Amino acid sequence: MSQFLQAAAYGVVQGGLLGLVAVGFSLVWGVMNVVNFSHGALAVTGAYVAWVLNVRFGLDPFLAIPVVAIALFAFGYVVQRGLINLVINAPIFLTLLLTFGLNLVILNGLQLLFKADDRTIDTSYASQSFAIGAVNVPYGRLAACFLALGITVALALLMSRTRLGHAIGATGMDRGAARLMGIRARHIYAVTFGIAAALAGVAGTMIATVGSFNPTTTPGQLTLDAFVISVLGGLGNMYGALVGGLVLGIAESLGGLLLTGTWVNAIAMAVLIVTLIIRPSGLIGKALYSGRVEV
Amino acid sequence: MSAAPTPGPMADILQGRARSRQGLFVGWIRALTPANSWPALAGLLVFAAMLALQQLIEPGTQRLLTSVFLFVALAQAWNIIGGYTGYASFGQVAFFGLGAYTVAVLMNNYHVSFWAALPLAVLVGVVFAVAIGLPLLRLRGHYFAIATLGAAEGAREVINNLTSVTGGGGGITIPTFGSDAPTPYFGKPGFYLAFLVLAAVSVVVAAVLARSRFGYAMVAVHEDEDAAGAVGINTTVVKVVAFGVSAAIVACAGAFYAFQQIEFYPTDVFDASFTVLMVIMVMIGGSGSVVGPLAGAVGLQLLSQFLRVNLGNFNQLIFGAIIVLVVVFFPQGVVTYLRDAWRTRQFSILDNVRRYRL
Repeated sequence: MSQFLQAAAYGVVQGGLLGLVAVGFSLVWGVMNVVNFSHGALAVTGAYVAWVLNVRFGLDPFLAIPVVAIALFAFGYVVQRGLINLVINAPIFLTLLLTFGLNLVILNGLQLLFKADDRTIDTSYASQSFAIGAVNVPYGRLAACFLALGITVALALLMSRTRLGHAIGATGMDRGAARLMGIRARHIYAVTFGIAAALAGVAGTMIATVGSFNPTTTPGQLTLDAFVISVLGGLGNMYGALVGGLVLGIAESLGGLLLTGTWVNAIAMAVLIVTLIIRPSGLIGKALYSGRVEV
Repeated sequence: MSAAPTPGPMADILQGRARSRQGLFVGWIRALTPANSWPALAGLLVFAAMLALQQLIEPGTQRLLTSVFLFVALAQAWNIIGGYTGYASFGQVAFFGLGAYTVAVLMNNYHVSFWAALPLAVLVGVVFAVAIGLPLLRLRGHYFAIATLGAAEGAREVINNLTSVTGGGGGITIPTFGSDAPTPYFGKPGFYLAFLVLAAVSVVVAAVLARSRFGYAMVAVHEDEDAAGAVGINTTVVKVVAFGVSAAIVACAGAFYAFQQIEFYPTDVFDASFTVLMVIMVMIGGSGSVVGPLAGAVGLQLLSQFLRVNLGNFNQLIFGAIIVLVVVFFPQGVVTYLRDAWRTRQFSILDNVRRYRL
């Protein structure tokens, strides 16, 4: 029983983090209809920025988050404005190809700069934990999970309460009409991608703090996770991404406990496919932009 | 969003211009005239040239060209479902892996000869395509893409965990030497021929399909599925058959690849980058034509090998940058751009970029 609870607790904190990885991916997909293949690469870029700040200047990863977010936002803004906007009207899979090329460039750039070894950001507290009954909860993971929750709620509020959020939502629903209302779609798209990149960078920083990362296997895994979570949660649905992340995190850690080998991965894929067939709009509610005009 | 300026095949069907009611192949042969058979003649010439070329080049170059032929077949296969029918599958590698493992398991565990295992591998690929195609081909756009991606990942995990049959993550080895070998190993020249024939067959299948009534139905489904259904096309049958034909070619390629590799792991033959490369080659060449995927596969595979040899550590970086630039400058594919530019006499690349940007 205690083993079960421990796995569940681990699944929850891990799931919160995965939700933060997916939320930006889901936003970009929902608003712009762009499947961002380089999302995992952006997360790992954020991890490297935080790692450099930590090693060079001794900055705590949680304090490095604003710097990482600003740096990644700027990068994301420029990428969308200068590259992805150029092909946004082309057939839908062109943007996927573009981000695939971008993914190769970023990852190989990182590999040339930092080599391909596993790294982690060392802190005094990340490996310590406290106990609730028989369940151990590591401080670092708990803090990362709460941060993920906070950011997701903040993003959801941004989308529902601010002019910028409404502009993003409107552009996602019908770009033509949004432009007629005086919304600068080019700028809004770039801001959206910038936000997603910043969130990915923050998530990467957290992953680097509570675990380890490298430029070869981590990005692909993160992108695939974000893929699955976005579908489970419904595209462009902020809370959906969080719920999807929790579902995936708990399912993976409990599955790891109950099943041998990697059967849990096969079952995760089966769940994904069945979800798609039965409820293509996601597990909770509906996808924010399911009524989009341009597909 | 795709702009379709010309009255497409949809209009042909609506206005009764669709050719060939006598069945696929017969109609195509009867329709041949000197004016429209030059692509077939050019294809025959290239095929003969490749046969002659084999006598002139060294084994290393043969291996390079063998990989080019493999990707020609894979790109043509993806183009049938992703380009013509408009259902972008991100799980085609599932059929590749299943084909490879069918051959390996039969040859290794049951001592079946390669030529007996090959049709079974194709059959397994087609059966799996129909099984997942019937539910999944009801999904559209990105949803179909992810569902097929999930199916491929799932298939890999099943193969990975059926350790008693497939050897699981420890890999599988096909016996190729001595009295153990059910079929003697082909060697580099043999596989050059095998993959050349496979590439040629896939090009011919794609070309014949594209010019048949069925081909028009595929394009009609691509352009407007509801309208296609309304004019009496059984869209489910069209989609599943296109998916099945594509899967058959991919599974066949996987079977030959398995025999060529001798020893491999699930992560090798279910590697998602195979799927991604198929998509990229088709998109960069130009989807929905026969020449596009052909040019894309040949160009990209030669380019990537050239960069690998000459640029060392930077090769992937440059490869990625080239993909980005080609996508930005030729969003509709290089071959499609050249064809349209030739027809309209408008060669300005900047105008081309302007057409798709926001």
